[in-house]
Amino acid sequence: MDNGIVAMMLGASIFLGGVALIAFLWAVKNGQFDDEEKFLNAVKFDGVEDLNDAAMQEKKKEELKKKKQREYKPE
Amino acid sequence: MSEKIACTHCHLEFSKDVMIQDGEHYFCCNGCQGVYHLLSDEGLDSFYEKVGDTKLAPPTQQYEDSSNFDAPAFYEKFVKTTKEGFSEVSLIIEGIHCSACVWLNEKALHKMEGVIEANINFTNNKAQIIWDDDIVKLSQIIDMIRAIGYNAYPYDASLQEASANKQRKDYYLRISVALFAAMNVMWIAVAQYAGYFSGIEQEMKTILNIAEGVLATPVLFYSGWIFFRGAYYGLKNRVINMDLLVATGATLTYFYSIYITITEHGEAYFDSVSMIITFVLIGKFLEVLSKKSATDTLDAITKQLPTEARVLRDGEMHSIKLDDVKVGDIVVVSSGEKVLLDGEIIKGEGNFDESNLTGESEPIFKKVGDSVISGTLSIDADVHFRTSKDFEHSTLSALVSLLENAINKKPKIEQLANKLSEHFSTAILTLSFATFFGWYLSGYGFEHSFMIAIAVIVIACPCALGLATPVATLVGLSLGAKRGILFKEAAQLETMAKTDVVLLDKTGTLTYGKPEVVKQDIDIGYDEGLLYSLVKLSNHPVAQGVKKVLEKPQNEVVFDEYKQLQARGIVAYKKGVELLGGNAKLMQEMGLAYEYKSENTLFFFAINKKIVATFELQDRIKDDAKELVNTLQQKGIEVMMLTGDHQKSAMRVANEVGISEVFYELSPEDKLEKLTQLQNDGKVVVMVGDGVNDILALAQADIGIVMGSGSDVAIEVGDVVLLDDSLKSLLESLKIAKTTFDLIKQNFAISLVYNALTIPLAIAGYVIPLVAAISMSLSSLLVVGNSMRIRYKWSK
Repeated sequence: MDNGIVAMMLGASIFLGGVALIAFLWAVKNGQFDDEEKFLNAVKFDGVEDLNDAAMQEKKKEELKKKKQREYKPE
Repeated sequence: MSEKIACTHCHLEFSKDVMIQDGEHYFCCNGCQGVYHLLSDEGLDSFYEKVGDTKLAPPTQQYEDSSNFDAPAFYEKFVKTTKEGFSEVSLIIEGIHCSACVWLNEKALHKMEGVIEANINFTNNKAQIIWDDDIVKLSQIIDMIRAIGYNAYPYDASLQEASANKQRKDYYLRISVALFAAMNVMWIAVAQYAGYFSGIEQEMKTILNIAEGVLATPVLFYSGWIFFRGAYYGLKNRVINMDLLVATGATLTYFYSIYITITEHGEAYFDSVSMIITFVLIGKFLEVLSKKSATDTLDAITKQLPTEARVLRDGEMHSIKLDDVKVGDIVVVSSGEKVLLDGEIIKGEGNFDESNLTGESEPIFKKVGDSVISGTLSIDADVHFRTSKDFEHSTLSALVSLLENAINKKPKIEQLANKLSEHFSTAILTLSFATFFGWYLSGYGFEHSFMIAIAVIVIACPCALGLATPVATLVGLSLGAKRGILFKEAAQLETMAKTDVVLLDKTGTLTYGKPEVVKQDIDIGYDEGLLYSLVKLSNHPVAQGVKKVLEKPQNEVVFDEYKQLQARGIVAYKKGVELLGGNAKLMQEMGLAYEYKSENTLFFFAINKKIVATFELQDRIKDDAKELVNTLQQKGIEVMMLTGDHQKSAMRVANEVGISEVFYELSPEDKLEKLTQLQNDGKVVVMVGDGVNDILALAQADIGIVMGSGSDVAIEVGDVVLLDDSLKSLLESLKIAKTTFDLIKQNFAISLVYNALTIPLAIAGYVIPLVAAISMSLSSLLVVGNSMRIRYKWSK
């Protein structure tokens, strides 16, 4: 086998593995594994409506944050 | 019988007649109906699809006004402000049955104006809610949770808990990275080893080296960061610790391997770098998992104290913070409440439980003019008292600060691992330097000498040493847990194995703590049912003890009239017949003659002024107490008894179980002092107790062992909890500690022997990366295997 191919394969698989690892780390940091029950049941509540709600909530959060930034000055 | 039908909201089934019909729906109560309509109006009725057939609790409870959640004092205690200026609170939500409940609560809160985030944990029902306090108030949030059929109350998410979780998560992330990288490095290393034996092109070797290097980098600098930090703090305190050895070993090896990769000759050791870090990190994580801090304990204790007292000012009742209550204020205490301040009763009377302070188990009767002490508990007294000291100078504050002192003064016995690793690390580092100079001065050139010095560190780098203690203590903890013995911290197992003195409390530890009938003298032909009904009227431990030996009659007698006499007994009347049940004092006062003399507590029962039954009661000694004392003494452990009780009963128990050193009539402070004396003589002291009067001693003892039925505070302070209260468990816990400590020593021996065999090889220059990797894994496996062997032996 050509050395170049081995190098490429090693590089690609380490990269892919790395991506999976980073995704996993992100999920842990994000608290997605903190509550195993909720994590397992999450799939049941994943309809279109729920997604819309989640997006709305996200938007509301942003708006409130912006508003607060204008008004609130930590002393 | 009409058909049964399920309530649309809670799914509990009832007969159709009693249900509320509402269109096509049926409800069991107004509460369910209300919630159903609320959810429909809010567009949340898809909840019912999600919840399926799970049965919910009907929201029938009435709640008091929620406006007190908006009080400034409440906000100050429970509500935090985030850095963006929002408010944040931790709540525990009651009534969560299924994940649909979590969904509903989160949705309902998200729909509220001003709520930024609501995150509910299904496993522990704890919720984190962030909101904008300008738009919505906490009371409205709690009202919403109540409106949809749940209840919420805030809890103090102490910083301790949060920081412990954060630390755990941090380790978890670092271990994930280390494991991922180490496993991949090992695959690549297999190719390297194969190449070493069957020949490999230099170019291929370099490619493999680079791949290994890329993977080993995050392991060393991210996962291994903990060792750099540990080594830094160690050096700052002028201690050479294991962290330093791991850090220098791994770093030197890493840079040496990079050098090899670039210069394209020799063997790289990237696999050793990642393996050392991974193994030792896992060992460290196991230690972190089983650690508790002293501040945690203190938090838990002060949390149990209310922060406010009810004070009568200008004829009105106010809830006032303890610190703001002044001397001379009138404080109101109702039955069942804790007394938080010292003072003198000006109105009312009743019984107080002072066992917290004195260890005296009998309730104490107090009336106007008597003084009440903070830290005691009102059993049935509703009193007003005038404070004589402010909170800062109260008995309770004094006790808390004494406890604080005791916890901080708890001696930390240096663990074998720390002691050993310091010497070990120093020795290895010196040996490695010596090897380098030895080879260099013999004329082998810098590079060759350096490589061999590195090999010494790598081979000695003590994966097995790092795992020896954590794995052994883990075995000890699980052995204990299976037998109802909870060790709160792994390190305690080792301390406990070195016990010199065991101090035993009397009441509740050596004895059952409740009087039991040991002898009865009964005239034939009286109605036992009468006595049973009489003693049932009182909650006094003596009456309860007598009740235990009586058979429950078919029909219990209902008396026409009865009266409880303080510290005497009970008088009751039934159709003109007078019944008396009580102690000798009652009999004397009623003019009854008795000729019964005994050291034990006596209970007399008289019908129409004639004594018909006499009971002797005693706080019985636990069956295995004598055996325990014997076994301990045989093992060369000194046994002493400390009690707050008076001399006579202390000596009785001591003689019976065979303890010669007895100290009686001790206050909590006296117990502490006795214990400190022993500690000052250089002894490792174990204190066994159950009550609040033992807490000071429990806190400062090297190991405090608490009975599971003991008071909450004592359990909080203790290091080991015996869930089944038995003395057998006490013995067992000492045995487990001993076994664990032996296991630790064995594990150390294994890893040291391993090092003794391999280090000479390394010094002689015979070690290649494969040997390093194999020896490392093998010694770790031996240590883990040895620990499993002990576990297997015990479980048989």
